[in-house]
Amino acid sequence: MSTETQTYKGVGTPTTRMYGLMAVVALGWVLLGGLFFTPEDAVQGDAVRIMYVHVPTAWVAYLAFIVTGIASACWLIGKKHSMGFDRVAGASAEVGVLFMAMTLLSGSLWGRITWGTFWVWDPRLTTTAFLFVTYLGYLAVRGLGGTAEQRARRSSVIALLAVLEIPLVHFSVVLWRSLHQRATVLSPDGDIKMDGLMLFTLLFGVFGFTVLFAWLVSHRQRIKAMQDAQQVTALDAAVTERLNEVQA
Amino acid sequence: MDLTPRTSSDNAPLAPRKHNRKWKYVVMLVVVVSTGGFIVSRFLTSAIDFYCNVDEIGKREGCEPNRRLRVQGTVEQDSLKSDAGGTTFVLIFNNQSVDVRYNGDPGGIFQECIPVVAHGQLVGDTFEANRIEVKHSNTYAEANPDRLAQSKAEKCSLLAG
Repeated sequence: MSTETQTYKGVGTPTTRMYGLMAVVALGWVLLGGLFFTPEDAVQGDAVRIMYVHVPTAWVAYLAFIVTGIASACWLIGKKHSMGFDRVAGASAEVGVLFMAMTLLSGSLWGRITWGTFWVWDPRLTTTAFLFVTYLGYLAVRGLGGTAEQRARRSSVIALLAVLEIPLVHFSVVLWRSLHQRATVLSPDGDIKMDGLMLFTLLFGVFGFTVLFAWLVSHRQRIKAMQDAQQVTALDAAVTERLNEVQA
Repeated sequence: MDLTPRTSSDNAPLAPRKHNRKWKYVVMLVVVVSTGGFIVSRFLTSAIDFYCNVDEIGKREGCEPNRRLRVQGTVEQDSLKSDAGGTTFVLIFNNQSVDVRYNGDPGGIFQECIPVVAHGQLVGDTFEANRIEVKHSNTYAEANPDRLAQSKAEKCSLLAG
């Protein structure tokens, strides 16, 4: 295990500032385009505007959990067991849980308007809720006691198992009969049945939320690095102080 | 060299805070596992009502007419009638149809030509529904005033996706 005790003056870098700026611009367009420029849907009316948040947050939550899985695998496989991978895994899971909560909330509102109900125990909704709860469990496990290495090892194993749920969630609408509609953009037949400006705004939303994810994760993992460094420094100081007391 | 942890003046160990923090996560984990169990059990309970297309009623295993079902189909054009007593319509799938009666307003974007899922049981020749969920297709098209001039059949095909 490597112990990195870097000194950080803050969590912002030119790269994170660029991410932040790109996220503001992209999400600004999504807000304006989603609310004012894109047309109403022929069937759903204005309710379709929820899609510009619901779909990107779902995709970015998947991405976040995949990043957690990859970082966890890197920690387990890597000879140095760099704690940087563990911090990225933890940070990405935290942001993923936030995005998944947004997906569930926006989906519930969308369901109320279109389906006539906030929630049904439908395969897509149930597997998504289960995925959300799994990653809450992952975060709880990360908070349990033990050394940093113990934390990284047990959470890596959970992350590698949990990421297997994502294909199940995505293909649940194909595997089971579902109230939730099938994929539009990632449709297996490649025929995207969506008007041009709607599709553009949706894809811009995916870009904006992805950059927001990168911005949040880069900040969060640096905060975690600072916390780890603070713990090491505090431990060193405590041991030195205690040694001085004993020697005196 | 004695490096055992220090104690307070009344000999009680210091720094119990980390323990509290750990317990917080243990409680969170218990809540998470319980919630996961609840989600799975609710999903399995809801799966007791078989999910059948209209043309499968009485034909597919699990879609027997004497049990509670979830029936999927499209609301037939010109079949929707609403009054104080409720809503009646014809549900159609693969050229097979069933009359549906629902006590109330289905809500959502319920209308003719739209795919729906009705929960209930067949009583005689009528499916008595106590819950209607409206499906929407994966087609997203601009609401265009010009389409008002379209034929009813065209509009119906658009709604059904």
